[in-house]
Formats: sequence, structure tokens, C-alpha cells
Amino acid sequence: MKALWLILILLALVALAALPWYGSDVVIQFGISTLLLAVLAQGWNIIGGYTGYASFGNSVFYGLGAYGVAIAMVQWNLPFGFGMAFGVVLAVVFAFLLGIPVLRLKGHYFAIATLALAQVMAAIVSNIPLAGQNIGLVLPPLNNDRLFYELSLGLLVLATLTVFWLTRSKFGFGLIAIRENEEGAAVMGVNTTLYKVLAFALSGIFTALAGGIHAYWITFLDPESAFDISLNVKMIIMAVFGGPGTVLGPVVGAFVLSAISEVLSSEVTSIAGLFFGVVVVAAVVLMPRGIADVIRRFRTSGWRYFAENIKAHRL
Amino acid sequence: MSRAMTRFGGALLCAALTAYGLPAFAKDIVLGASVQLTGSSANTGRYYRDAYQFAIDKINEKGGVKVGDKQEKLALKLYDNQSNVNLSVRQYVQLVSQDKVDLLLGPFASNFALADSAISEKYKIPMVQGGGASDQIFSRGFKYIFGTLAPASNYFGSTVEMLTKLDPKPSKVALLYADDAFDVSVAKGTRPLLKKAGLTIAMDERYTSNASDFNSLLSQIKNANVDAVLVAGHETEILNFIRQAKSLAVAPKMYSFTVGVPSADFRKALGKDADYAFGMTAWLPSPKLKDKWFGDAAQFAKDYKAKFGYDPDYHAASGVADVEAIAEAIEAAGSTDHQKVRDAIAKLNFPSLYGTIAFGENGQIDLAQTVIQVQDEKLVPVYDANGFVEKPKYPMPAWNAR
Amino acid sequence: MDLLAQILVNGVLLGGLYAVMALGLALVWGVLNIVNLAHGAFIMLGAYLSWHLFTYLGIDPFLGLPITAIVMFGVGYGVQRGLLNLVVRAPMFNTLLITFGLEVVLTYLAQLAFSADFRTINPSYAGAHVAFGPVVIPLARLMAFGIAIVLTVGMWIFLLRTKLGRAIRATAQNLVAARLYGVEPRHLYAMTFGIGIGLAGAAGGLYGTVSQINPYIGATLTAKSFAIAIIGGLDNPLGVLVGGLVLGIIESLTVAYVGATFGDVASFGVLVLVLIVRPSGILGKTA
Repeated sequence: MKALWLILILLALVALAALPWYGSDVVIQFGISTLLLAVLAQGWNIIGGYTGYASFGNSVFYGLGAYGVAIAMVQWNLPFGFGMAFGVVLAVVFAFLLGIPVLRLKGHYFAIATLALAQVMAAIVSNIPLAGQNIGLVLPPLNNDRLFYELSLGLLVLATLTVFWLTRSKFGFGLIAIRENEEGAAVMGVNTTLYKVLAFALSGIFTALAGGIHAYWITFLDPESAFDISLNVKMIIMAVFGGPGTVLGPVVGAFVLSAISEVLSSEVTSIAGLFFGVVVVAAVVLMPRGIADVIRRFRTSGWRYFAENIKAHRL
Repeated sequence: MSRAMTRFGGALLCAALTAYGLPAFAKDIVLGASVQLTGSSANTGRYYRDAYQFAIDKINEKGGVKVGDKQEKLALKLYDNQSNVNLSVRQYVQLVSQDKVDLLLGPFASNFALADSAISEKYKIPMVQGGGASDQIFSRGFKYIFGTLAPASNYFGSTVEMLTKLDPKPSKVALLYADDAFDVSVAKGTRPLLKKAGLTIAMDERYTSNASDFNSLLSQIKNANVDAVLVAGHETEILNFIRQAKSLAVAPKMYSFTVGVPSADFRKALGKDADYAFGMTAWLPSPKLKDKWFGDAAQFAKDYKAKFGYDPDYHAASGVADVEAIAEAIEAAGSTDHQKVRDAIAKLNFPSLYGTIAFGENGQIDLAQTVIQVQDEKLVPVYDANGFVEKPKYPMPAWNAR
Repeated sequence: MDLLAQILVNGVLLGGLYAVMALGLALVWGVLNIVNLAHGAFIMLGAYLSWHLFTYLGIDPFLGLPITAIVMFGVGYGVQRGLLNLVVRAPMFNTLLITFGLEVVLTYLAQLAFSADFRTINPSYAGAHVAFGPVVIPLARLMAFGIAIVLTVGMWIFLLRTKLGRAIRATAQNLVAARLYGVEPRHLYAMTFGIGIGLAGAAGGLYGTVSQINPYIGATLTAKSFAIAIIGGLDNPLGVLVGGLVLGIIESLTVAYVGATFGDVASFGVLVLVLIVRPSGILGKTA
């Protein structure tokens, strides 16, 4: 059974990797966008899904990665690889410096604190001349969508493998222990502070890399788009929709929601944004545990699954 | 069963005959654009949608565009970028690679034009935009971007010139500007102009775009006793600025704004409080501006108002100019080939309701700004390249003395 | 010196306006533990309502505040009863997501209904001011400040002294016990949320007299309200007043003496600092 799954996944990967050769320009564009969103969702999964700390500050890592690449390439004329490395360094430094105090907060205070951090970063960066202040930076254009596509796919594979490794490693078990009962985990000898910060940093690294690729691809960034809170919410929704705390859940969530969103953006633009909001509301009410859970329980509960969810959570 | 087959076969035959029997229609020339129809810049963005459609309809009405020896019609493919730059960029890629439009029209706002022109350059397809004036757009050596808005750096050009001729002559000036591409460009260009005119820059403040509270800045202006205030910002900010100036009793001798004043909505929202405000426009609906398709600018303004219910300002005229530029270029090139049209656009020089359309080396038009002022809730041109047109109401009285 | 006095007064008055904005959010969060990311959107709706009352019925925005508040109370009651009550017992995180979605929906609906054009509420006294020596005090802001004090103290009295207020607090703290006493939690939650949104609506009406309104002001207002609520502390309604004043003064001073682009850095910087050092806020009890 497991071998069958493995073969299917490998086939899917091959099909995805070969897309730039048989897909149209627009499909490749959509592909890059979706793959990057999947990376973001997967990155969030590490801190939010496995560790149980719902971060609204992943957009900071995204922005740092993007600015890392932009500043390196535009202001210092360094190649893309250096820019990515620089972005990762910024992300890790941030994760340690601000992660430690902020990860001491519980529940929604942590969420709010990370949200505030995103706002502060956007405000600070819009005052830094090196970053182009509020105007942002325009990167040198590179017309090679195939490269960006394969890079994004590679990053997603890396992120998913990392999450898979998490499910089998002591580190991962420690994170899950923290999520389920932090005090208990501490009593059992888990160094909760270290684990949490490491998870935050790991989550940040993938997010920053995705931000860097996106910046180079779209050739433009400014504080508002780099530290966009609604992007953070998107990655959370995708991870939650697909199934937080699972290996493939965020990927599925990202693919499905992206597809729906793209179709709407190009067909019925005026209500695309409205749809996003409605989907969020509906998903939270009807299937708060994500698609993975729906699939698992649908067989036993059928359509009553949704009603059960509501009954379990309502006042 | 066989009867159904016969009917079906008959229908198929008819369809085939129809398809091949009908005269071949010339394919429309499609112009693509991604414009702000919703979102925070939509109140100006929609001027471009209306202008583009109006111009295309008028040109088609008069026979369309002559390509070689065929007359072809223009068509518009418009997307709403929801005032989101990222979405705008992706929509331009879609216009080029999926919808395969022939040529591109631009978005509103400099930061959009800055990002979207990277796409027109990447795919080597000409874009004529009338919404971005920031010098940054045109200083990258790009060959496929053209702009019909006058350079941002010179927006206050005629205003500063006028300041030197006012009596009592202002000496201390406050320069306030929002932190986006366009307004930063304006400020950068205005500083040397002020210095050359011998005016002192008593305050030089960059503020956050979309700020709603100007009380601190206004208090500083009052404290520094400045004579003139120049503000480069967005309509919503300027609206707040004026209202808060009134409530804080701040009345410099004059104040001038880069946007808002030419727009009827803006003046209506402020009512009498809009009086005395200076602004600038590169376009006025004057009958002296003759146009091949619309007659002249005054006639255009009348027809536009009749169709859309609001008076066109320079944004709308600029949008029309973009379409006309493309039409003229196609006719001059005799084809819709991207390279040929691009070269034709670069060589354009023709009169239109917007003024003379001719692009500089860097792709940007150069038009002089006319200083305008709101007097008794009406828009009055007061100063242009030839000097005073009407007498400006100067200095501005205190708020309680109006 | 004159400038400093004016800047400080500006800050205090801004603080009053901020306090009214954050009051509804703090109430709903502190009492019901519902984090409403759509709070700013409700303020925006209240502002539009006030504008309509003023423009089409000629009702003065200040006098019309009770009407705006009552209508928005109804809206809030409906939203809680019909939507938010469905996720109250889910992890807190779900409320964050659902209210975010709600914010997006409300913004779009507002834009469809009212177009993206900005509006202003311009009663004849909108530009009036009172002068105390060299310091000028805009009348509209002064009245907003007065209303802020009235509402905050009123909320404090309501929650701590009246039967309904105590019932609300009791229900939020112990659902089971409340039910045993015959209290209908669904109704009570909806009442509370309704009051919170009614307050947001009133804040919107006030906001419209000092600033222009458009469908997109919601997000910024939500962010500011959060900062104020947390800085002041959620345990005590008076905390909102403290939080608003602190934020207003800090912003005013920063814009005047550091630079006009540093206002947000200061506001959110203080928020982060408070969260790290003293999450319960200035007036909050340390756990």
C-alpha cells in the first residue's frame, strides 16, 4: 500500500517537473505562484501545525528573504545565490533575536505579537534608504520562467521532505509534545525554548527562500507587498484547509485554493476577493480541521461530518 | 433515430456552410490593460477604463485604424488589478501570453507603471501608459514603455515660477510629500527649482502614504510661519490635510497640491473649503486643442460628461491620448508588428485633444503644467508657460475671515 | 514650547479618538475572548451609516451617534448569533481566521455598495476650533474626546456594577454555571458582541467627522485598535483610555520630532515592547 503511494507521488513529481515543457506560459506562471504558496504553507506548518504556535509573522521572513535578494542584487550587484543566502541569514537572525521573547507568549498573544512584528518591520523597512524606502526596489529582469519553476518545485520538495523528517525525528516529536502539552513536555525534559526557536527559524528559512525567489521572479518589491499580512493569512488558510500537522496537507490545500483563486481572478475579477473571504469563513465553520480530516472522517460520517463540526464548536 | 441523425447532419452542414460562407471578418486589434477598478486607487483608476473605452469607441465609430490597406477596429481587454501591484504584474503577463493582445495600455499610478513596464520590456511589446509620471519609470533604459503624463520632477515647475511673481513675495516654503515613487520624484525635482528661485525650504517632510492624521505636520507649519506649502500626495491625504488645516486654524499665504484640485469629486467633497487651493494640470478642456477624432478638447469634455456623468480631468485625457498614440503609430507603421509599432510610437508628433503627443528619448512626454486655483468653488487657470492667465486669489485669508 | 504644547494636545485628542475606536474591540476580547479582526471594517460601516444619515436625512453626526450605535448593535448581534457563535468553542485561532475572512467580505461589500470614492461628513462646525492661548483645539476632536471619556466610564460602570454586565462577565467565565442559572449564553454573547460593534459604529461616526472615509480604512483601524487595547490592558475598560492616550501622544511626538514616516514604527514598536515585557498591558493585572 505504501509502495503504491510512493509511486503515485513520484509520478506526480515527474509530471510537475516536466510541466514547463508541455504547459503554456500562463500555466507555468500559475505553477510558480502555487508552488511558492505551497512552500509558504509548508513552512508555516512547521511552527503552526506541528509546534502549535500560530504565527502571523511568517510574512516577516518572507519579506526579509525578498529584501535580502533585492538588496544584494540591486545595491551590491551580487548574484542571486548570494542574495538568497543573505535573506536566509536575515531570517535566522530575526528568528533568534525576536523569536525568543515572542515565543514566551501563549495562544492568541503570540499571534498578535507576530502580527505586530510584521507591521513594525514594514514600517521600519519603509524608512531604510538601502531598501529603497517605501518605493521599493526594481530587480534586474530575468526572462526564464522555467528556472523559477524548477527552483520553486525543488524548494517545495525540500520543505516537504523536511516536514516528513520531522514526523520521524526526536525534534519533531518534541515539537508535537510542545503542541499538545507544553508544560508536560518541559517536565519530560524537552528544552521547549530551544525547540520552539529552532522550529521558528526552520519555518523562517523556507519562507525566506520562497520570498527571495518570488522577488526575483516578479522583479519588484515594496514594503507593503513584501510584508503583506493577507499573504500570511493565505498561507495559514492553505495549511489549515489542507490539514495542519500533516505532511502533504498544506501542499494539497495550497494547490486546491490557488486553483480556485486563479480561476476566479481571471474570470470574475470583481468578486475574486469576496470569494476569498467567503471561503475562509466557510472553511473555518464547516471544516476547521482541514481536507485531510474531511477525507478521513467522511467515510464514517458522510455529510453529517460538517454538521458535527459545527455542533462541536458552537456555543 | 435516422430522422434525428438527418436533422443533426443537416444542422452540421448548415453550420459548416455558415462558417465558410460568411465573409472573413478582419481580426480586431486588441489593446490590453490592467487597471485599478476596485481597491484604494479605484476612484482614479476608473477614469482610465472610461477613457480607454471612450477613445476606442470613437475611433471605431470613425472607421477604425488603417493597417496597410485594410480598416481594422480596436478592442479593449481590461482586467481589474484590485489596486494590487503584484496582481497587476501577473495580469499583464496573462494579457501577453494567454490572451495574446496586440499592444498594451497602462495602469494608473507610478508604482504600478514601474512594475508593469518590466513585463512589457521582458516580452518586448510596447506599452503606452498615461498614469505614471515618476522619473524612475523612464530612467532604466527600457525601450518599450511610453508615458503621456508629464515628468513628476517638473510638476511644481510653473507653480514655483508663479511664486516668484506674487506679491507679497513668499520666502519660506514647506515641502511635504508622501513616500511613494511619484511623490518622492516630485519632491526631488522641486527642491532645486525652489533653490534656484531663491525660496527657503523651511520644512522638508516625507510622510507615510495613506496617512490620515496631519495635525502634527500642520502644527509645525504654523509654528514655522511658512508662507507657501507644497504638498505632493494622494487625494485622500490632501482631503484630510485641508480639513485638518481648517480645524487647526492653519492658513499659510498659499498652498498647492499635486492632485485633487482638478477633480470635481474632490472639490465637491470639500465644498467651500476647497477655495484658494492651488493645483496644476497639464490639460484643460480648451477649444484650442484640436483632435482628429473628437473635434477639440472642449467638445470631448462635453461628450465625455454626457456619456459618463462626470467631468473628465487630465487623467481621462491622458488615457485617451494613449489610445490615440497607439492608433496613429499603427497607421504610421502600417502593421501591428511590435517592433515596427514601437519605433513608430517613438517618432510620433501629432496634435490631439491632450496637446502635442511626442515622446522624448526616454519615452516620456514633456508638457508644461498650468497652475490652477479653486476660486468660488470653480476651477480657474491662473498661470501657464506664458505668464498669468487670470489673477490668483492671494494671499489666502485666515479661515474665520473667509 | 508653544509647538510642544500643541503637539501634546494633538496627541491627547488623538488618544481620545483612538480610545473610542478600541473600546468595542477590548470589550469583546476581554470579556468574550473573541479576537475580532474585522473590527475596523465595522468602524468603517458605522462611518458610512453616519454619512448616509447626515447626507440624506440631515442628521448631525454627533446627535445621530445613538442611531448609528443602535443599528450597528443590531448588525453585531446578528453576526454573533448567526456566525461567530458557531466557532466560539473552537480553538481561538479559528476566530482569528473567521473574522479575517469577515473583514475581507465586509470590505468588498462596502466597495460594491458605496464605490471606492471617498466621502466626508462635513457638518458646518467641522472646522471650528477653540483656542487656549497659543494652542488650538479642533472642536470635533474635543467632542470626540469627551464622548470617549463618557463611553469608557460608562462601560466600566456597566460591566462592573450592573446586573447585565455581571451576567455577561459571569457567562464568559463559566458557561456551565451560567446555564445552570438559566442564562441563555447564545443571547448573552450576541448582546455583548452587539454592544462592541455598536461602540465601533459610534467610533466610525466620530472618525468620519475628522477624516475622510472609504471602504479600505478598516485594516489600519483594526491594527491601531489592537495596539491600543493591548497597551492599555484588556482587564479594565479604563485601560483603553490609557492605551489610546499613550499611543496618541507617542505618535504625535514621533511624527513631529523624529519624522513623519516613523509614526507606525513607534506605535507598533510600543505594542511589541508591551507584549514582550508586560503582555497584560498597563492597567492589566499581572497574571
